[in-house]
Amino acid sequence: MSALWVYTLLGLLLASLAGVAKGSMRRWTVGAGLALLVAFVAFPFSRARGFLSRDTVDPTLLALTPLFPLLWLIPLGVALALLLTHRGGRPAGVGGVLGGAAALLAAGSWYTQPPQLARLAPVEGAMEALVALVVGGSVALLSLNRLRWRLPLLISAVLAGGLTFLWFHAPQGGGAYLPKSLGYYKLIYPTPEGTQQAIVESYNQSLPELNAIRKELGQEELKPIQSLGDLQGALPAQASSQGYRQVQPSTTQYGAFAVFFLAGVMLGAGLMQLFNPALQEPDDLRAGLLIALVASALIPAFDATEFDLGKLVVGWPFLQQFADKAWPPLLADAASERYPLQEVLSQIAVTVQMALVGTFLAAVFAMPLSFLAARNVTLGSPWMRGVFYTTRLFLNVLRGVPTLIIALILVAAVGLGPFAGVMAIAIHSLTELGKLYSEAIENADKGPVEALESTGAAGANVVRWAILPQVLPLFVSYTIYNFEINFRSSLVLGLVGAGGIGYFINEKMASGQYDQMMVGVIAIVVVVNIIDFASSWLRSRLV
Amino acid sequence: MICLQTMIEVRNLSQTFQTPKGPLQVLVDVNLDIPKGDFLAVIGRSGAGKSTFLRTLNGLLIPTVGSVRVNGTDITKLPKRELQKYRRTVGFIFQQFNLVGRLSALENVLHGRLGYLPTWRGLLGLYREQDYRIAREQLARVDLLAKENARVDSLSGGQQQRVAIARAMAQEPSLILADEPAANLDPVLSEEVMRTLKRFNEEEGVTVVINIHALELALKYAKRIVAFKRGRVVFDGRPEALSEAAVDDLYERKEMLA
Repeated sequence: MSALWVYTLLGLLLASLAGVAKGSMRRWTVGAGLALLVAFVAFPFSRARGFLSRDTVDPTLLALTPLFPLLWLIPLGVALALLLTHRGGRPAGVGGVLGGAAALLAAGSWYTQPPQLARLAPVEGAMEALVALVVGGSVALLSLNRLRWRLPLLISAVLAGGLTFLWFHAPQGGGAYLPKSLGYYKLIYPTPEGTQQAIVESYNQSLPELNAIRKELGQEELKPIQSLGDLQGALPAQASSQGYRQVQPSTTQYGAFAVFFLAGVMLGAGLMQLFNPALQEPDDLRAGLLIALVASALIPAFDATEFDLGKLVVGWPFLQQFADKAWPPLLADAASERYPLQEVLSQIAVTVQMALVGTFLAAVFAMPLSFLAARNVTLGSPWMRGVFYTTRLFLNVLRGVPTLIIALILVAAVGLGPFAGVMAIAIHSLTELGKLYSEAIENADKGPVEALESTGAAGANVVRWAILPQVLPLFVSYTIYNFEINFRSSLVLGLVGAGGIGYFINEKMASGQYDQMMVGVIAIVVVVNIIDFASSWLRSRLV
Repeated sequence: MICLQTMIEVRNLSQTFQTPKGPLQVLVDVNLDIPKGDFLAVIGRSGAGKSTFLRTLNGLLIPTVGSVRVNGTDITKLPKRELQKYRRTVGFIFQQFNLVGRLSALENVLHGRLGYLPTWRGLLGLYREQDYRIAREQLARVDLLAKENARVDSLSGGQQQRVAIARAMAQEPSLILADEPAANLDPVLSEEVMRTLKRFNEEEGVTVVINIHALELALKYAKRIVAFKRGRVVFDGRPEALSEAAVDDLYERKEMLA
């Protein structure tokens, strides 16, 4: 609970710093307000437990409103604040303070509630409507500049939305699994008087039967319970499957941190604007929208990536131990006949060679392909257009597959070693170079092309003499740059067993020989910098 | 004027481009006969259709309506190979020179010979002895033999345009089309380019059609003036016949003064 107030303080601090720096305060009020609305509807706030862990539901604030109507203060406060920010000046400040305070009050008093029994009520179609809205919205955005396409696009968006709705509603679609919500948005309703007693009684009644089974399995007997509290937050299986959940207001989900932080920002921004009403700018609504977008994308992302600096503190001893063992690096130890430096140098050489061969193969094949993938070279006939689209499709699809995955597949096919790495690099670079080359061709000056066409030269000769001399230096430059990238990706390829220095490091890391691994790391740092420097120097001479 | 054999017959030529703002008619029912050995200057304001007209004469553009007969063949209907064969007899000189900057002057002039080579020889750059001879000859005529190995992008604007003229002449053309060849050059170099073209016209009897907006140059060098206004031919005759009033109307000067 106290951690939540720390977040509020953080929000206050952020807003006041921005205010001291004379930033627009109204912008922060609007941004935090809109983000609060998003959090209200979409971020999990508390926890409601059932029988099994998969029965657990993390309800949003909106879902909790039937249980605790005071939560409506949050959207109402935010709406009031947004209305007031429209007027600007001191009223906007009042709005920020009121909205922030309302959110803190409502969310804060929710946390003082005791655990209680509640019933889940799925709102069918809510997720379907959301999907339809997202599809429709993106289509509307896409068709913004194409008046002629807008109507057909909108119609197909509506159709797509409708089909999605039907699909989710079909019997087999009911289980379609959106993150933590089985196709439904769930509201939490209070239960009538006596429900708890009924559940306890039916649990106690089913105990003899259950205990008979447990005895067969050799498990200890379960005792009758006086209240649901005896089950420590969980619910009996039967009640759980009937839709009952034990709501625990004091268990915080990330939405709670978000709400307290955003409310703090809003409160702080409002206060700053009360003292200095001039802290506003004309385009605050748009900027606020942007702030809200970033906030509502970032906050769930921090949760999803399990971001927790505490883990670093826990892992600190390992880091210390690692540093102790890794330094000084072991260059050579004649006594035990280990020569890491020698091995590192030869493995670095292999890595560079992998990048060299891979880049070379890619360049050789990308050269002809890129002409087929260039729009301006393939205008001639419908047949050529077909070749163009096929080549483009091939390059685009293949480019989507990362080098690492190609390497994993090839290692399985041709075995451990640099050959798999070389092929992976060649295949991926082919797609990158093909794209870069063909863009260079498309951007070539059209003048010489027109000139050579008017001398009566054949199409192939126009390409050879008007386009090729223009793009060749660019090709070379792109190839060198690609080599630089390939060297770095061949380091990583070693980790999946495709040879080179990466393989060496992986091996030493696994066997705990950090002092030998360190030699490899230092060598990589040096060589990467040398190659970067050489490559940019070479390229600056070329173009 | 001596009665000369007609080389180019332009009949009912119209050209319409599809633009985002709707169709745009650039040429409207143009009819013109160009005799062999003529030196014809096309004048008019920007956007009057001069460039479109010129590009239609060598098949870079296909007209919407109408025909262009050159020595009796309608070049707007030629298949690709035949069109390439026709184009090698037509030299085209561009306002932006359109040379390949990274290649040498000689290589650029040799491009004029590509139309006479089998494709594979062209791809490998295997020009014949006579192609080299012709290319060097033309470079010498524009006084650039000393620069034959210089990269074209290291040459000055005037020298570049002379390389472009040599490239056109290396085609041994019977017709030269020049689209504002002097617009990117200073007055002295402009005169030089016009004199070079005039010399080819007089010494070799090459027919020259030139787009030009500098009226003085047109009047000084051309044997005949054709004026375009909004896609239509509004004047066709000897330079002397072009009256002050006609010029004012052509460039819509009256309206600008009023």
